[in-house]
Amino acid sequence: MFRVIVVAIVAAAISAGCGKGNDSSRPAVTLQLNWKPEPQFGGFYAAEIDGIYARHGLNLTITAGGAGAPTVDMIGAGTVPFAIVSADEIVRARAMGNLVVALFAVYQNNPQGIMTRASREFKTLADVFSHPGILAMERGLPYSDFLQKKYGFGKLKIVPSPFGDLSLYRTEENYAMQCFVTSEPLAAEKTGIEPQTFLIAESGYNPYTTVLATSESYLKSNPLIVKSMIDAVREGWHAYLADPAKANEYMGRLNPTMDAQTFKDSAAAQKPLIESADTKRSDLGAMTLDRWQTLVQQLVELKVIDKPVDAQTCFAELSKAK
Amino acid sequence: MNASNFVRNVLPPIVPFVVVTVATELAVRQGWVPSFLVPAPSSVVLSMFRDWPELWRATLNTANASLIGFGMSAIIGSLVAIALSSAAWVQRAFYPYAVFFQTVPIIAIAPLLVIWFGWDRTVVASAFIVSIFPVIANTLTGLLSTDPALRDLFRLYDAKRMATLLKLRLPFALPHVMTGLRIAAGLAVIGAIVGEFITGSGIGGSIMVSRQQNRVDKVFAGLLLASLLGIVLFTLVNLISRLSLRHWHASEADT
Repeated sequence: MFRVIVVAIVAAAISAGCGKGNDSSRPAVTLQLNWKPEPQFGGFYAAEIDGIYARHGLNLTITAGGAGAPTVDMIGAGTVPFAIVSADEIVRARAMGNLVVALFAVYQNNPQGIMTRASREFKTLADVFSHPGILAMERGLPYSDFLQKKYGFGKLKIVPSPFGDLSLYRTEENYAMQCFVTSEPLAAEKTGIEPQTFLIAESGYNPYTTVLATSESYLKSNPLIVKSMIDAVREGWHAYLADPAKANEYMGRLNPTMDAQTFKDSAAAQKPLIESADTKRSDLGAMTLDRWQTLVQQLVELKVIDKPVDAQTCFAELSKAK
Repeated sequence: MNASNFVRNVLPPIVPFVVVTVATELAVRQGWVPSFLVPAPSSVVLSMFRDWPELWRATLNTANASLIGFGMSAIIGSLVAIALSSAAWVQRAFYPYAVFFQTVPIIAIAPLLVIWFGWDRTVVASAFIVSIFPVIANTLTGLLSTDPALRDLFRLYDAKRMATLLKLRLPFALPHVMTGLRIAAGLAVIGAIVGEFITGSGIGGSIMVSRQQNRVDKVFAGLLLASLLGIVLFTLVNLISRLSLRHWHASEADT
């Protein structure tokens, strides 16, 4: 009897080992997001729901993130093969020896903005910096250095970003905060305050954002998986842009902090930032050497990095299968 | 200090420190640990030198807020404990609410703190909230542990409540009070730094910005300074404890 039990346990262990993990046609890979599920990740989730990853031979899990998710570090440490980062993070990481490479840029134009109240009657972003008040932002991010260099922080009290928490925005009149133009302004309107938002990109700082990235070593050792991932992601974003409803509903269940209407409005608001002349010429997610070179140049000028990084190595141009 | 004293008292804490530091330095240089996750100790030292003005200013900020918060905890915490010890029903009614201070996650009430106290006092408020409970709990225990025989003695002499408090109960509660203050000292520093994550000032603010800049060396330099601050505060409380209890209590007597 004892021997039967031992054989049964060993058999169970062997068959468990021969499960999903050993299926070489569907390797398990993870995509780590740098924020909660929101329309900015719509295409990634659309690809999951429509089985696009599976069709491209990928067994993909999407892991949501939150405030301060160290996605750049996770790529470098090999914790995840794919993650979402921003272009300036990539340049900075490469300068420090963390060889992250960009694959697909969702936002062609940086959706970062500064949101304040319409009642303050500012006309341009410069007005925010020429009037006394509070500005809540992540001081360690390069765009903050850019704003400081361009406008100066002399008149403002700089405090940490509340990461979407509108409590102080609602109580203080002279409060301005960093935001994604597709997100916080919509939430502000819901609370009854009319927001006034200024795009950082219009001031001249415009890195690609919500960029799908991997490590150079992963790209070298798994070129087929990476290519399949890019193709799947591209298809997913086409599907999401055509009809965001299903993915929005799915993300709404994962992230109950935003209601269905806000998801809808945000998805509509982000379209002009995702599509550009480059994407029309090439395809969604396209990146150009010119943009990367400009970014590297700006980061050197801002002293975010000491020496320039080779812009060509920051992104991978795998053949675009249409 | 002679050689045997050195080997017995100074060497033991230093050796593990040296071993760990050398091991970490090796691990980072060999690439076993990614340098953007754990900085080489040499880079932390470099950061200390390079970023000293900024780090020092931040440390002074945090030290200031920690000390004020700790002082407030000590005074207000003791007063609350005295009030709680005055009657059994007072203790039953209000002591459970003191636990609130121990369990409330500061980050959750961050906007409230800013609205109530303003940006500059939020750090002190945070240090105070996080460090007050050990003072209340330990002081209360001390006040309730007076020798019943001595209490009866005071009652026999018809001593007034205030006299009993000042001449009997408080002195006898002192060892417990010191324990509470020792715990509160470290917590005040932690509380201050958590408050600084909200306001962006001091060591907490510096750590946050360094994290966002991916400057792990500067993050660890800040952590080191925060630890040193906690140790300094703790040593101060130990000193006060020694001075006040040295002559009459077993816990601080020289053996």
